[in-house]
Amino acid sequence: MRRLILNLMAVIIVLITGVSAWAVTPEASQKVLTAATKNRVDIGLFYKGDRINFFGVNPVPGSDLIIRLTAAKDEELKLSVKGRVGPFWMTVKQYAVTGLPFMYKIHASRPITDIIKAETAQELELGFPALKKKMQMHLIRGEEAPEDAELVFNGFLKIKKEANLYNIEEGPERLEVTEGKLFSHYFRFPPAATEGKYLIESFSFTNGELVGYGKDEIIISKVGLEAWLTNAAQNYPVAYGIGAVLFAIGAGLLVGMIFRKGGHH
Amino acid sequence: MDIYLPIAGMSINFYLIIGIGALVGFLSGMFGVGGGFLLTPLMMMIGIPPAVAAASDSNQIVAAASSGAFAHWKLGNVDFKLGLVILFGGIVGGTIGVQLVKVLRAMGNFEFVMKVVYVLMLGLVGGAMFIESLNTIRRSKAQPSAPPAAPAEPKLGRAFGKLPLKMHFTRSGLHTSAIFPFSIGATVGIMAALLGVGGGFIMVPAMIYIIGMPTIVAIGTDLFQIVLTSANVTLQQAMVNKTVDILLAVILLLGSTIGAQFGATIGKKLKGEQIRILLAIIVLAMTVKLFIDLVVMPENLVSLAPAKGGGH
Repeated sequence: MRRLILNLMAVIIVLITGVSAWAVTPEASQKVLTAATKNRVDIGLFYKGDRINFFGVNPVPGSDLIIRLTAAKDEELKLSVKGRVGPFWMTVKQYAVTGLPFMYKIHASRPITDIIKAETAQELELGFPALKKKMQMHLIRGEEAPEDAELVFNGFLKIKKEANLYNIEEGPERLEVTEGKLFSHYFRFPPAATEGKYLIESFSFTNGELVGYGKDEIIISKVGLEAWLTNAAQNYPVAYGIGAVLFAIGAGLLVGMIFRKGGHH
Repeated sequence: MDIYLPIAGMSINFYLIIGIGALVGFLSGMFGVGGGFLLTPLMMMIGIPPAVAAASDSNQIVAAASSGAFAHWKLGNVDFKLGLVILFGGIVGGTIGVQLVKVLRAMGNFEFVMKVVYVLMLGLVGGAMFIESLNTIRRSKAQPSAPPAAPAEPKLGRAFGKLPLKMHFTRSGLHTSAIFPFSIGATVGIMAALLGVGGGFIMVPAMIYIIGMPTIVAIGTDLFQIVLTSANVTLQQAMVNKTVDILLAVILLLGSTIGAQFGATIGKKLKGEQIRILLAIIVLAMTVKLFIDLVVMPENLVSLAPAKGGGH
């Protein structure tokens, strides 16, 4: 019954969204039809992340699927590395890191290494080893060590995994394929997923060769009070600062009047 | 119920923040202290970025201290002339402190320096308070009817009074050098920016025991300078580091105001030395926690540093 509902939803959504959701890379000969339950996520006052369901039709029945979620733009990062100085642990070196996306999640129908060769994975940037090779880092402060690339990438990966911004799921648990053709899955956008454009790309492979490709876009943006406060803080910092002070004085005096005792400070 | 903090860039349980505000407010009301020195480390412990915690705490302090300052001003307990000298020091210190925060964040060592200063400050204050309260309890048990010891004569005050730039402060009845009030204001200003504290726990004893001000005028003048020093720090943090989360400050204020009312009621039922020893234990426990964070190997040796002074 659940499968039937999923199949129906996939067909209906694909028919409704139609051609707009179609996309193809030069390498792919066929299109993976995809659709999402929504293409926009609003960060409001009570935002605590969101979940978006995706449905699609695989152009080559029985082929393997790898679906990748990334932020459209790579991050320019500064990563601090702690070391022991006397009895204390403190930052001893810093690296500027480029080439890594802000968010990176993959759902694959089976282990990526079983679907494609390492070269293909590297070319299409699929999997953590491919990301690691893409990462570029240069020392800003401190002394470089040979093991730093490994340390920095693993540390970065840990930060991202803890924030639920990086994740790879390989198997049918998250990517449900029906009769080798219709598929459904969902991505969870955590609260740490900031404003911006995100891409959900579906790759279809047969015998390690790319045979299909599809793409969806998700826009995350702050709305209402959250957007107003962020815009004020980033673009009008003087006005925001003065406003924060005046608001605090007003709130403090009001609270003092209500409790008739003055502040507790 | 979760709430999204726009500047901290994170979603957090609303009741957790209200609860922390209420807990600190309760302790503030019970012990008669500001609580900024408890609030910032507690916010860091629940995952608020340290720079956002300190800056938003400064904003909350402006609100929490303003009604008290207004009440003391109406009662004539504020020495405006002395307050302005301290405030001048506070603005200079606060400006230096905010720039220091910027540099330390860029170096990736803001959290480390913050924790070291907290450990030193809380260890010193908590330790001194604990020993003093323990001695008072012992003395009162040995001599139950003994009168309380007279406050020590401010010998340091006389020494500082010999410095140049002498001024007459009518409300406090003092004729002393402006250098010491300026210096203590500057020190508190730096700490306000670095730690998100009001600095009353340093300022009030310094005003009473070193400058020699009457207690009630010291408290009124301290609240006056806290409002303006914290306002300066809030404004500069917003301009330089963009780390003031007004939503976080409002929720903390709400919690601390409610907590303070209950704390004040409980505080009246406890003896002075009992209150002080309880506060000392809380302060020392936090010192131990922060010290452990500094010396135990972190789970992840890599951390994200702010790229260009942004809030997150």
